[in-house]
Amino acid sequence: MTTLAPPPDVRAAAPETPCAHCGLPVGRRPVPTASGEPCCCTGCAVVRDALAEAGLGATFDRLRGLSPSTRSARPQSPEALALAELDRPAFLDASTREVAGGREVDLFVDGVHCAACVWLVERLPHELDGVAGARLDLPRARLTLTFDPQRVALSDVGKWLSRFGYAVRPSRPDAGQATAAERSLLVRMGVAWALAGNIMLVAFALYSGLDADPSAPLATAARWFSLALTVPAVGYGAAPFFRRAWASVRAAWAARSVRHLHLDTPIALGIAVGAGQSAWATVTGRGEVWFDSVAVLIAALLTARWLQLRSRRLAGEASERLLALVPRVARRVEADGAVGVVEVDDLAIDDLVEVPAGEVLPVDGVVALGESRLDRAALTGEARPEAVAVGDAVEAGTTNLASPIRIRATAVGEATRVGRLLAWVEQGDAARAPVVLWADRIGGLFVLAVLALAAFTASLWLWLDPAQMPAHVAALLVITCPCALGMATPLALAVASGRAARAGIFVKSDGAVQRLTEVDTVVLDKTGTLTEGRMELAEWLGSEAALDLAAALDAHATHPVAQALVRARGVLEAPVADIEAVAGQGIRGTVGDAAVVVGRAEWVEGESAALPPRWRSALEAWAQAGQTPVAVAVDGVPAAVLGVGDRLRPEAGALVARLQAEGKAVHVLSGDHASTVAAVARQLGIRCARGGVSPEAKRDAVAALQDQGAVVLMVGDGVNDAAALRQADVGAAVGGGTTAALVAADLFLTRRGVAPLTDAIDGAGQAMRTVRRLLWLSLGYNAVGAAAAVAGLVTPLVAAAAMPLSSLAVVGLALAQPSFRRADRSQTP
Amino acid sequence: MNVLYILVPLALALALCGVAAFRWAVRDGQFDDVETPALRVLLDDDSDPPPRSGGDSLSPNSDA
Repeated sequence: MTTLAPPPDVRAAAPETPCAHCGLPVGRRPVPTASGEPCCCTGCAVVRDALAEAGLGATFDRLRGLSPSTRSARPQSPEALALAELDRPAFLDASTREVAGGREVDLFVDGVHCAACVWLVERLPHELDGVAGARLDLPRARLTLTFDPQRVALSDVGKWLSRFGYAVRPSRPDAGQATAAERSLLVRMGVAWALAGNIMLVAFALYSGLDADPSAPLATAARWFSLALTVPAVGYGAAPFFRRAWASVRAAWAARSVRHLHLDTPIALGIAVGAGQSAWATVTGRGEVWFDSVAVLIAALLTARWLQLRSRRLAGEASERLLALVPRVARRVEADGAVGVVEVDDLAIDDLVEVPAGEVLPVDGVVALGESRLDRAALTGEARPEAVAVGDAVEAGTTNLASPIRIRATAVGEATRVGRLLAWVEQGDAARAPVVLWADRIGGLFVLAVLALAAFTASLWLWLDPAQMPAHVAALLVITCPCALGMATPLALAVASGRAARAGIFVKSDGAVQRLTEVDTVVLDKTGTLTEGRMELAEWLGSEAALDLAAALDAHATHPVAQALVRARGVLEAPVADIEAVAGQGIRGTVGDAAVVVGRAEWVEGESAALPPRWRSALEAWAQAGQTPVAVAVDGVPAAVLGVGDRLRPEAGALVARLQAEGKAVHVLSGDHASTVAAVARQLGIRCARGGVSPEAKRDAVAALQDQGAVVLMVGDGVNDAAALRQADVGAAVGGGTTAALVAADLFLTRRGVAPLTDAIDGAGQAMRTVRRLLWLSLGYNAVGAAAAVAGLVTPLVAAAAMPLSSLAVVGLALAQPSFRRADRSQTP
Repeated sequence: MNVLYILVPLALALALCGVAAFRWAVRDGQFDDVETPALRVLLDDDSDPPPRSGGDSLSPNSDA
């Protein structure tokens, strides 16, 4: 009966084993290559053998490992609706621009992850008439396409790419602004370094003896030359620091509190005094000049800012890309019966909307035509799909699974339940107190300390030697300029979040890293977070052959339970005949020459014989745990029983055990039935578990925990978690989560499962340790520098040597930090 | 030492050229994506080159 008989070693591979060629799970019937590696399909195995034969296997693997994986956890099927959006005149007007050779457009391409993808996508001009150019930006998954709208439609480009599994989405127009800001900062940085380099060139001459006689014409010329270069360095390069310092001074003045002064204030002060004092010395021809220290300081600080902006952008664009997955258009059935694509915003109450299978409902409403099953997991946490028929109320945000339905809208846009939730999430975003990191918090104290020290130095030297007073005060302000301090936090966090992004962990704010290390209570969602979030074969008893027969029969059914069995067992190559589906009971038919019945236990018993008592009690136990019990009979004899349910993720147990070992309180909050939630919690050893919780109640539960003084990490994936994610001190959205969860979360994990959460917590801890170490180092440097300056020991040469040294130490230590290293390695073998 | 009066401005002029080139490269988008071009080199294309009608060079964006 089994036509494909892989060798036992490959067959023994777990279904989750990644395919040796493409990396997707191999499933139940892996195909071996000549060397015995498991592949998911014959195609992969053939390609892998061909590569190995040509001696290219190693190169392929290396190429594949070269680039970070930006593949989204849930492969996206091409949606006709998203493609239709690409061709709408409004989109073409707003998002494309005129260039030589046609029009240019930026598109997100979901699913690109390696060098081979770059090659394939950039083949577009060869393959499609009317496409003049295609450039893929791999880390950002952004395709810049030059095309002729008269000769090719963007939806055709989308269809061509979807043949290879890439999903094309319109990109949001504001992506260009971030690019412009980053480019302008990069130019500023380049100019600052060029100026600093030339000023240093002259400074070397001064330090090596040119300044022995300050009145010599060459020395005077050198000073004026440095001054000329410092003016643009301060006026153009340091402008952002002055702007932010001024804003913080104004805020502090308005609030009458030095706590509003952030670290840009002492930086701007140091730059201003250093440059001003040097300029005065140049004009009067007396005193020391600090041009080189000031210029290097500006360039180093701009570098740190740029690195920070760049790593932030990476995380921002990843969330942007996921947001683009939501179609902003819907299919409206017009009065004449035609179906037209319109903006979701243009829908009105009482409009009739068509939703084909596989698409997300755009409105709240009542089913007007057809019947189907809805996946409400994203909205309610209920794992089992629910059947809906004419007259049933349905909600926006749920997914239509089975067959097309038409819906009469009762609420649209923000009036829908999901719309109200999202509106709150966005409000919460604006109302949330800004997180200030320690380095910024001490900005005010730092200013006060420096000013006090300056006053002390001034009075000391007025008493000792009034002529030297201005020089020593300037030396103090320059050497205490918190360059290293200002760089430490952003740099360490930029390096950490850049590495985290490569490991599939995107951190939206620096504050989240810090708060993640302070968490003492973890609230977990069940459906989709602790569990897989879809129906899977969870338990079975009886004959394995019977399961395979049942799967072969179930391949002809659309019920989620049937599909779970097919996913778990694969499909036998056997003729299936006499299929008869009995609504609400099961399906029967002939597979090969065996008569097979699959369905509800009572019905199967009626079709065959009574189940053995042991199987019956097993079925009852599975039903108690929230699974759907199914029985299989072959040739009139009960042959197997199985439970299909939302399976626990394999790594969930380890995560919970670890969190509890660290002394964190672990809670489960779910919208699913209380008995199912309790069963999952029991399995994981969690005592605090609540089921049947509405999205609003989740938020309140998190708030209640916070009122008791807990720092809460909320982990979830659905719309129903979004409000709680926003309310929590740190919200984490796990792989395959819904858009609303991603919007609300502070960090999100693009790899499947909750294992990356452990990496995120570890990495955040290491990153914060690095930040603290760097802060102490730079504070120590400033303290030593200040003491030396008060004692009058700091000359321009000392400052010129000490400042870059401290900055380099900070950069070196930030780059050498261990955070997210392990995850990084495991990602690129 | 008077040669410095010429050499230092000369060095400055060279630096200016460098800055100008850098500014052009940034605005051309050459630093927007520093990973894909490195991979692109590895892909040798044995078929005919595509029609090069302005498609290959990214024209500077209006926002630059």
